[in-house]
Amino acid sequence: MSYFLTQLANGLSYGLILGLIAVGFVIVFTSTGVLNFAHGSVLLTGAYLVAVLQDPIGFWAAVLVGIAGAALLGVLINAVLVRNLAEANPGTAAILMLGVDILLLTELTRRIGNRVLPIGAPWGADVVTFGGITLPTSRAIAAGLAVVVFGVLWFLFARTGAGVAMRAAAADGDTASLMGIRLTRTGAAGWALAGALAAIAGIFLASFPSPGIAPTLALTAFAAIPAWVLGGFDSVVGAIVGGLIIGVVTALAVGYESDLHFLGRGLGEVVPYAVMILVLLVRPSGLFGRQEAVRV
Amino acid sequence: MSDLLRRLPLALGVLVAALLPLLATDFWLQAGLFAMAAVVGAIGLTLLVGVAGQLSLGHAFFAALGAYTYAWTAGEIGGRAAGLGLPPVLALVLAGVVAALAGALFSPISGRLRGIYLGLATVGLVFLARHLMVNLETVTGGFNGRTVAPFAVPGFSFSNSDPDYVAVAGVEFEGLHRLWYLFLAVVLLAAWLGRNLKASRTGRALANVRDSEAAAAAMGVHVARAKVTAFVLSSAYAGIAGALMALAYGRIAPDLFGLQLSIDFLIMIVLGGVGSIAGAAAGATFVVLLPLVLVQYSSELPFLASPGSGGLEAATLARLLYAAAIIAVLLFLRGGLAGAASRLRHRRDHSPPDTGGPPPVPPPDSTDPAPAHPGVPPRSKETTS
Amino acid sequence: MKHRTRTTLALAGTIALLAACSTEDPDAGGGGGSAEGDVETGSGVTDDTITVGMLTDLSGPFAAGAAVQVTQTQAFYDRLNEEGGVCGRDVEVEVQDHGYDPQRAVSLYRSMAPNIVALQQVLGGPTSAAVLPLAEADGMYLGGHGWAGVALEYENAQIPGTTYSIEGANAVDYLVDELGLAEGDKIGVVYFVGDYGSNSLEGAQHAAEERGLEIVPQEITPRDTDLSAQVSALQQAGVSGVILAAAPAQLASLAGVMASQGMDVPIVGNTPTFGPSLLETTAGPALLENFYTVTSIAPYSLDEPGVEEARELYEAADPDGELGWEVPLASAQARLLTTALERACEEGDLTPEGVVAAMRQTSDLDTEGLFATPLDYTEVTEPPTRTVYVSRASADAPGGLEVLGTVEGPSAQSYTFG
Repeated sequence: MSYFLTQLANGLSYGLILGLIAVGFVIVFTSTGVLNFAHGSVLLTGAYLVAVLQDPIGFWAAVLVGIAGAALLGVLINAVLVRNLAEANPGTAAILMLGVDILLLTELTRRIGNRVLPIGAPWGADVVTFGGITLPTSRAIAAGLAVVVFGVLWFLFARTGAGVAMRAAAADGDTASLMGIRLTRTGAAGWALAGALAAIAGIFLASFPSPGIAPTLALTAFAAIPAWVLGGFDSVVGAIVGGLIIGVVTALAVGYESDLHFLGRGLGEVVPYAVMILVLLVRPSGLFGRQEAVRV
Repeated sequence: MSDLLRRLPLALGVLVAALLPLLATDFWLQAGLFAMAAVVGAIGLTLLVGVAGQLSLGHAFFAALGAYTYAWTAGEIGGRAAGLGLPPVLALVLAGVVAALAGALFSPISGRLRGIYLGLATVGLVFLARHLMVNLETVTGGFNGRTVAPFAVPGFSFSNSDPDYVAVAGVEFEGLHRLWYLFLAVVLLAAWLGRNLKASRTGRALANVRDSEAAAAAMGVHVARAKVTAFVLSSAYAGIAGALMALAYGRIAPDLFGLQLSIDFLIMIVLGGVGSIAGAAAGATFVVLLPLVLVQYSSELPFLASPGSGGLEAATLARLLYAAAIIAVLLFLRGGLAGAASRLRHRRDHSPPDTGGPPPVPPPDSTDPAPAHPGVPPRSKETTS
Repeated sequence: MKHRTRTTLALAGTIALLAACSTEDPDAGGGGGSAEGDVETGSGVTDDTITVGMLTDLSGPFAAGAAVQVTQTQAFYDRLNEEGGVCGRDVEVEVQDHGYDPQRAVSLYRSMAPNIVALQQVLGGPTSAAVLPLAEADGMYLGGHGWAGVALEYENAQIPGTTYSIEGANAVDYLVDELGLAEGDKIGVVYFVGDYGSNSLEGAQHAAEERGLEIVPQEITPRDTDLSAQVSALQQAGVSGVILAAAPAQLASLAGVMASQGMDVPIVGNTPTFGPSLLETTAGPALLENFYTVTSIAPYSLDEPGVEEARELYEAADPDGELGWEVPLASAQARLLTTALERACEEGDLTPEGVVAAMRQTSDLDTEGLFATPLDYTEVTEPPTRTVYVSRASADAPGGLEVLGTVEGPSAQSYTFG
């Protein structure tokens, strides 16, 4: 039983981190209509900044720089590239982001090399134990922080003028624009928010139990895509729930692989996508996605 | 006049492609084979994206299916990995058929999802494919892959043997040369079919669905069926492309059919100009050849560091340039390569350049949160000719 | 206008068909190369140079380690050329970057093949798997493709040491004979699916059957850098040792999580699992406590003439470079090819086929410690040796590994190929 609970706790905490990434996908998508394939390299940039700066300026200052840097990078990508597309539609924007991803990743790979850069977090390799479950301290903090972040997001979107403007822009850009909402501003805010969330996720993904920053960290953002999709492309709540589902299912598939041997080896890799396809079969627009109005 | 002008480049292109093997080195032949395989897949995808407004990131899955179907059905009976020993021609057709069937099986999703949503859902197929390729060892050879039987028609093999020696105009035609003409024929057939399809009743129905599902339905188009048709067709193209890739490699393994392949197909059609068959061909050639050419020749540049010394190396520079080229096309060429070419043509014809470009599109800020189609293509001339 | 197009097409087709379609080979019977002096030469060899190719990954995931190998290979041949080269000729290295993309690797191979006599290296699993059959068809020597057992199917491939499967089998033998595991115990194997990890697993499984142990496999991908779930599963299964066939990032996570869960059991890694920078991560103490590695190639710190020479070359070529197993490996690979070239020269056949034949005549090749035993390449389907080095993590040794000795266990001896 404690084995099951340990795997469950592992899955939930990992799922919350995935949720942070998936929410970034949602916010960029709803605020600017871009499928952000460069999310992974933005995440890696944030984490990389923390890793190289934690020695000279201290961990907490480095964290601030990393988060701000990733947010700024997002804003710049949007302002310099996305808004200057010759032809603005989700298809070309997605390919643009692939180009940006190759650019950033090539440079970061060159800088990081074959080293594994430690993130230097004060929680180190500590673990916490409660009720027979052992969980890395970094994961426990990540889970708590993610919940707080989600709460702040809810407050922002529900209670502040800027948040309401962003929701209005997402729901109907044209109408929002007519009502005086500056879409350039809501777009920039969306990219900044997504970049900051990615950097936070990156810091925890590079903390124990992971050894530190390696270029493969950028690929983790792809792991959040099933979470985003099954939650429903435009729902923040959906992204969080999707992250939790993918996290738990992956952890259990790995944890009980020996009992699921008839399905083949390496289930952890395929299970998130299998779950995603199953959900889409039942609900084509995801768990929390807006049903499209058109019925034909 | 404009008709002639439009056809001339095509005829010239085919002529050059037909004569190239007499001059090209093995490097260009091999790169050309990969490019032509990619062209077939890209045409299939551009039909799906450009004509039907659907998006697929699952092309690697269907390509893998085609590749393994060919290798399995044409494979020797009793070889290292299982084979049926069918004639290669039949195996090539089966590669398309099996991929189409798999596309049809996916119809509960492809018929109900639109545009970019479908694209993300199909990412799942790529990972499913890898799981199957690695685990179904008797057919696929597992992670080490399996060899691919060379293509052959009775009495003539598209490999280095049987006949052992063929020469045309004094140039020895080895496997690469022979395959070149097979690939060229398949590419022309694929382009011709695609073009006819766009102009056909089905093609117009698909375009209606892309523009407005409600309007299409009102005009009597069965929307879900139209979307499934487009998906199935596109899958068949991908299957054939996969079989060609298998022939170009000579040996296939799961690593060849990763998500990167799907992404590359998408880059090809967007760079080329969504919906244009010539654009898909240009985009595929660009994506396959550019990195190779950059790697081949960037090492000649003087300011670069030697490998391992930590400075900016040729290889890194080549990759950065490749990414920069993608970004530049998207920022500066409206309608991709095909759009640019068509504007150039119109300028020559003294007609206003704008008509060749795509219709005005809303700026990114006002993008609908649930955009209906991933790439509204220009209503290119080809649809109406 | 349609007619015009069709006419053009038809014309083009007819020209192609009519243009002297001959099936008589004018070269038939004649050998490829021309005799220069008393040595026959083919592609890649002129009167004063011998060109060898390296197809490596300088922009993809293995760029950093690959660059170390390029540096070291270059340094090796520079020194060799100063000392007079091979067969009275200088050896030149043509380096191309495939970026871990099989399509690029195949195309670049085609461009390289006419200009080189042998391939010093094709780095990477999928890339070397794509190039190997082509090189075999061309009769071209191919080295430096890693240690996957699948290479033993090819006559033209020279594996640098033994296979991952023999490493895996030796790891089990070492766990039983030296680290106190007994019959009935369980061993976890955490591995990358693919020609590397799965090959190591095969060796470990064979050895476990021989020695009466049980294997608990856990498959991962290079993307997995948090192995919490895998470690929990291994702990639940009650393993007394873990074999890792993955990369440094996975090793750090595995060791760190195991320490945090209180799993104090030995970890044995294949050659590519370890990198010295790991000792600076939070997993450092755990690695120093429990990490061992079985390697085909000598670790950086080994005190044997071959390795010392490699170190000296490397420190001159790149004083700030990373001190990993890539350094002795690159020297060893260059040495293997040089030996084959020299022999081919003596035999008077410096064509690509001649180099492969010379490589296959090599037996009892002493590498001054770069490999654990003398090497024998006469049998295609047999690895040249079945002995590996065993080392453990050390804070003091350069490169982070301290050599404990060599192992050739009973199950490594009984493992069969094919």
